[in-house]
Amino acid sequence: MRSVLYEPYEMREASTRSLVSVVVLMIGSALGFTLMTAPFTKLLGADAGAVASAFHALAAFLYLFVGTIGLYLGWRLLTGRISAFADLQLLAVVMATLSFLAIVFGNWLYVFYRAEDAGSPRSYFMANAPEIHTIFFEFKTLGALFTLPLAVVAAFILWRYGSQVMQRPWLRYTVAVVIGLSFFYLVVAFGLGMAVTRLKPA
Amino acid sequence: MTTGLAESRMVAAAVGVETSWEPPMRPTGEAVAALLAAGIAMLTLAFVHQVTAASEAVGAWVHALGTLWMPGAQGIGPYSGEETLTLVAWLVSWAILHVLLRTRELPLSRWLVVFLLMVAVATTFIWPPVFQHLAGH
Repeated sequence: MRSVLYEPYEMREASTRSLVSVVVLMIGSALGFTLMTAPFTKLLGADAGAVASAFHALAAFLYLFVGTIGLYLGWRLLTGRISAFADLQLLAVVMATLSFLAIVFGNWLYVFYRAEDAGSPRSYFMANAPEIHTIFFEFKTLGALFTLPLAVVAAFILWRYGSQVMQRPWLRYTVAVVIGLSFFYLVVAFGLGMAVTRLKPA
Repeated sequence: MTTGLAESRMVAAAVGVETSWEPPMRPTGEAVAALLAAGIAMLTLAFVHQVTAASEAVGAWVHALGTLWMPGAQGIGPYSGEETLTLVAWLVSWAILHVLLRTRELPLSRWLVVFLLMVAVATTFIWPPVFQHLAGH
């Protein structure tokens, strides 16, 4: 029998199953509490693209959250002082997945944005402030697409080369630069998307 | 019964000899291929958007391309075709470059600079004041 005196700390890492269980429980309880106590049907708004907008924003927000952690780990990789390399590998895949989902949901939302009727955001902007559409929205939709190949390249190099990335400086620099670029285009798209939604939701 | 290799490892372990095996260094060609393919995708998007903005006929063709497979493409407009062409250019160029470069050891520093130039050019050409000026708007 081992004494606890020699093992003051839990050395085993939490299993993925327990981590997923905790996350599901927390999100589930938060959603359940909201559904039971709030006018949930009014939460998304009455606009035609409310559901598409919610999914797009959710994917983009999660991507921003994960991308911020990825950016930090990318910087640690750049400096050669990363201890959570496996986490960065996983995050890169999650970033690429969320980028893809944000683009897919963005396409769905785009249908409502550029609808022909006078109440659509595009019609509204073209009538009142065309530069919002012709400059900011156009740049946002195109720049957002850059995030996918960049995140995929980062994930590909991290998984294909594995621990060799840490041994080869230019592989480290390359991955860090690519992650930094993907974060840059993410922030541009996220910021402009939020601004456009504030001005006229779809 | 043990194999010769397993027996050797057991003996090595008993006398404390390190037997860990390091895989050979993977050539940088695969990383360069992935980088260049991403750069090609970005340049394709910038180029296709440029010609779509400049010509209604090209815009209609690009839009028709998107409607071939993308759900909701009718409502998305030419953007659906721009995404389609970008995706095709990315994946096809990656497959070709991967096959061509996978065994080659290339100077990653140099190709990273090339990639950054591609990104800079693509970004310049998706900035609306630039492509609208070039398209004559």
